[in-house]
Amino acid sequence: MAAPVRHVGHYINKNSRFLLNNLDQLRGHRGFGWTTAVLQQSATAEKEPTESTEAIVIPRKKTWSKEAVLEALASTVNRDPTAYKYQFQDDPYLAPRTSAEFKLFSLSQESGRSAAKYFINSNPKFFTKDFAEPHIPCLMPEKVSLLLEEVSEEALKERISLRKVKAAVDMYDQLLQAGTGVSMETTHDLLDLICLYSDREPVQEGGPETEDVESAEEANRSKGRIRRASDFLKTIWRENNNAERIFNLLPERDTHCYSALIRGMIRHGAYVKAFDMYTDMLNNRMTADVRIFNALISGAPEVREKYNERWDLIAELLNQMNQQKVQPNLLTFNSVLKALRRCGSLARTQALHTLSEMKALGIAPSLASFDHTLAAFYKAASPTQGQTDLLQEVMSELAGSSFTCQDPDDVLFFSNVMRICLDNKDIELAYRVQSLVEAGENWRLLGDSHQQTIYYGRFFSLLCMMEHIDVVLKWYRKLIPSLYYPNVQGMRDLLQALDTDSRLDLLPTIWKDIQLLGHANKSELIEELLALMARETHSPEVQESFAVCALDVKSVFNGDRGTLSLEWSTSALCHITSLLLRAKRTQEAWEMLQLFKAKNRVPSEELMNEFLLECHAAGAPDRAVELVQLSAAFCLPATPRLAQQTLKDFDLTDEQRAALSELESAGEPTD
Amino acid sequence: MYRCVFRAVCPVRQPAAHVFETCVLPARCVQVFRVADGGGAKALSTTSTSFCEKSDGVTPPERDGKRSEDKDSHLSETANSVEGKTDDGSKVIRMAEQREDSAVLKTSEGGAAPQGGVTVEQEVGKPTQVKGDVAKSGKESLLGLLGAMKVEVTNKKKLKNLKAKQRYEPAVKPNPAALESTISMFQKATAESSAHSETLDPDLVAAASAAASTLPNQSQAESELLRQLRRHEAVTEAQRKGDMSNLGVIIADMKVGRRPNRQNARPANQIRFDDDGQGYTHDRSITAELDGVRRRRNLFSGKRLGIFSPTTDEDKTPPPPAKPTIWDVDFANHLVLSTNQMPRNGFEEMIQWTREGKLWQYPVNNEAGLEEEASVPFHEHVFLEKHLEEGFPSQGPVRHFMELVVSGLSKNPYVTVQQKKEHIAWFRDYFQQKTDILQEADVYLN
Repeated sequence: MAAPVRHVGHYINKNSRFLLNNLDQLRGHRGFGWTTAVLQQSATAEKEPTESTEAIVIPRKKTWSKEAVLEALASTVNRDPTAYKYQFQDDPYLAPRTSAEFKLFSLSQESGRSAAKYFINSNPKFFTKDFAEPHIPCLMPEKVSLLLEEVSEEALKERISLRKVKAAVDMYDQLLQAGTGVSMETTHDLLDLICLYSDREPVQEGGPETEDVESAEEANRSKGRIRRASDFLKTIWRENNNAERIFNLLPERDTHCYSALIRGMIRHGAYVKAFDMYTDMLNNRMTADVRIFNALISGAPEVREKYNERWDLIAELLNQMNQQKVQPNLLTFNSVLKALRRCGSLARTQALHTLSEMKALGIAPSLASFDHTLAAFYKAASPTQGQTDLLQEVMSELAGSSFTCQDPDDVLFFSNVMRICLDNKDIELAYRVQSLVEAGENWRLLGDSHQQTIYYGRFFSLLCMMEHIDVVLKWYRKLIPSLYYPNVQGMRDLLQALDTDSRLDLLPTIWKDIQLLGHANKSELIEELLALMARETHSPEVQESFAVCALDVKSVFNGDRGTLSLEWSTSALCHITSLLLRAKRTQEAWEMLQLFKAKNRVPSEELMNEFLLECHAAGAPDRAVELVQLSAAFCLPATPRLAQQTLKDFDLTDEQRAALSELESAGEPTD
Repeated sequence: MYRCVFRAVCPVRQPAAHVFETCVLPARCVQVFRVADGGGAKALSTTSTSFCEKSDGVTPPERDGKRSEDKDSHLSETANSVEGKTDDGSKVIRMAEQREDSAVLKTSEGGAAPQGGVTVEQEVGKPTQVKGDVAKSGKESLLGLLGAMKVEVTNKKKLKNLKAKQRYEPAVKPNPAALESTISMFQKATAESSAHSETLDPDLVAAASAAASTLPNQSQAESELLRQLRRHEAVTEAQRKGDMSNLGVIIADMKVGRRPNRQNARPANQIRFDDDGQGYTHDRSITAELDGVRRRRNLFSGKRLGIFSPTTDEDKTPPPPAKPTIWDVDFANHLVLSTNQMPRNGFEEMIQWTREGKLWQYPVNNEAGLEEEASVPFHEHVFLEKHLEEGFPSQGPVRHFMELVVSGLSKNPYVTVQQKKEHIAWFRDYFQQKTDILQEADVYLN
């Protein structure tokens, strides 16, 4: 038993609460772990039924869990919106500023850890000294290679616990050939192992082939669930694989064997086969367990085409569950609700009925249950906008409570709910969702960084759309960049919000943030920023700050920062030039005008007019003449008019007059 | 961009009620209609359009009054632009409706004399003046109304704060502050209108019917007014008795009674999108909360599938503690991977380390790692002489030696009791093997 437990312990390192509950009976006696917490739990569990009848039982001794002190301390620490995430605080140089950097750094961190772990595990001979007193198991190398070579059930167990699918199957065959019986329990484990991985070698942590695979796994994590779902799909259930072969060879088959096969088939896409297997099981007069039903319900939409047929199948399965006296659990109903998402219009009524059924059975819905239900009512881009009643109800049901993850789909809830809020432009509801996220440990259920980005991105664009700019900026400072790295769209939303509330004077600071967030090379964003700055004339101070900002943008275009330089567009050139002109930076503006020529762009007529006015104000006839000549060089149709105006407005020398009159007359025929 | 196109501010049941010193009846409503932008009318729901019609239908002087009022409010609005613009930005049409609103609405929709509508409001608003009001000219009442409105405008900020607070509260019951203010209002009401007895004052009834006679559907308006007055009587009575809970019940009743009216007045989801595709949501500050009350139970109260029967506690015998299969481990791993497990601060990291077993457990004690020994009492460690009773001589050098060994062992905290016993047993075996030699040397004597 020691071997599987050790393997399990590996996962416990990632502090799974789920396992805690399952393992307490197994590991309670080992003491070093969570005994106190577990005993407390079981004690309260035992007490609960009696509490209704008896008086309050005062415990003789209050046992605190070993984390209690730390949890109390941790609850006193608030989030600092100006700080980077805790995981990056070791090295300020490596503090990520953009989402790409965040991904890169967190993945490097993780892969560094995996590499160290791999090295330790594959070279246990270098790590024999146990410094720690008391002994710390997780710091010592894990056993990853097979030790037992002889043909025995022990060796088979070892192979199963190390998840060596192929070696285990070989060992089993050798045992059968040798005529040695294998105990039922080991056979169950073997079948479970083969079915879980569909008769392939699993991706093993710490195994020789792991580094790249594990980082791929990490990458999947950050890329979100879609990739992960496809990971499952790519392993398919092959006909007559070892699981089926071993299953057929078994002298007697019990529910557990069927369970392994059916779950494996559902997991790896052999839905019809799974239902056949279930029928076979019923014919053998066996009853299924709740796991089989959960798997079958989740596979039900795959084996039926029509919506009502799908629902009929699910209802039939549920009825059979009741007949076989199998108590459904949360996952059963979550599977039902998830399957209902693919049942079209039926989903709306049946989802609510299912929720009521859960209530009646005393099963508290998890976030995934609500997510599936809401999905039935709020399809993406459907015309049923504005009906947030159901979501209101769900939110008032959930308000203030703290959740733990009970279903892998729980993590999709928040981003989906925020999508509904965004679709309905319901800022009040969005605030309620956000306060729910902030409650307790719920932030953990936001999911991986990808999900978080989606959630905060939706929230932020809703804020930009609906809220006053001051509120938007408050959230902006609160969320960015400690929680969320906005993408280009998010920044554009912010620019639009600034525009809406006429706070364009904040643009230079936003530009600094844009640079910091690594969006300075996104041309559409820069174009929009410049257009907003150049659109209207502002007070001199604002114009001055705009001019500084414009020069900064110019340096980005020129690639002064060593970054990838952008292609100059006509509008960007015009905007920067006019911004410089308005701030009375004539010399720099003049340089910009030269840049038009260098980049083969043609300045707009308004810009030339503006320039001429500026020359007039500055009293620089030389420059005015030069401007008209430049305009002629660009073959602008406005050249004659500019020349005329120059002749009229400026005090010119004869020479200049002659040149201008020539330009003026030259332009006329073309007019 | 339509900025706050329309707004009707109604301080119903709000603490700002002290502004209306002259108002005796509770739940009075003075509305400020503000048409900020003419172009905004398009984006309004039909209800708000009807409100606009109402303001359009008002006679010119009154409209002028409203316009000037409009400016005033605008000024005060810019003064506290933060609040004002928050509301603007959210493009919410704010309407806190009251029974009287619908009465006013009906008046204007029916095309009756617009000033009549105002008068009705005024009358209902100030029942102490009701007697004189019939004779009072429309202009006077209008002036009074405008005066009240101005005071109200200056208090706008306060109102908004309150409103915002209420909006964020998911609770559907009227918040205590509002209730309290209502109560204080009631107290004023009782103080001023002490003449009101259990039955309605006949003068009041006459005034109400007179007011109603200016309305198109006279009987309905009259009955509504009277019902409102009676309700007020009930509230006053309850207040006099100091029965707070009763009051709450009455107020709750008032809400329920009003609801169908509102739904008729403002069907949901009328105009959702304007040209730029940005929709406007209705204000849900009060309406939505009330709707929430009505529909709260729907999420779980609907019909259920009826397949399973709820089990009693006896049925729920916990399943035998099964060993977690590889499926469970995989599922748990999946759960952990899908959630965000990154620590947010040093303490959370320490929690994580504690769970991994890398850290000393808090509270720190010096017996960490010695859990197996915890069940062994100390005397097992210290009093080891009893193990010498068999297999060793009771006196002589061997005995003496062993006593020294036992004494040493009893002071050694680093070995377990089992190890100590084994140590002693080793000597026992050793001396038994050497019996011959010892006897030869004449030492092994009793």
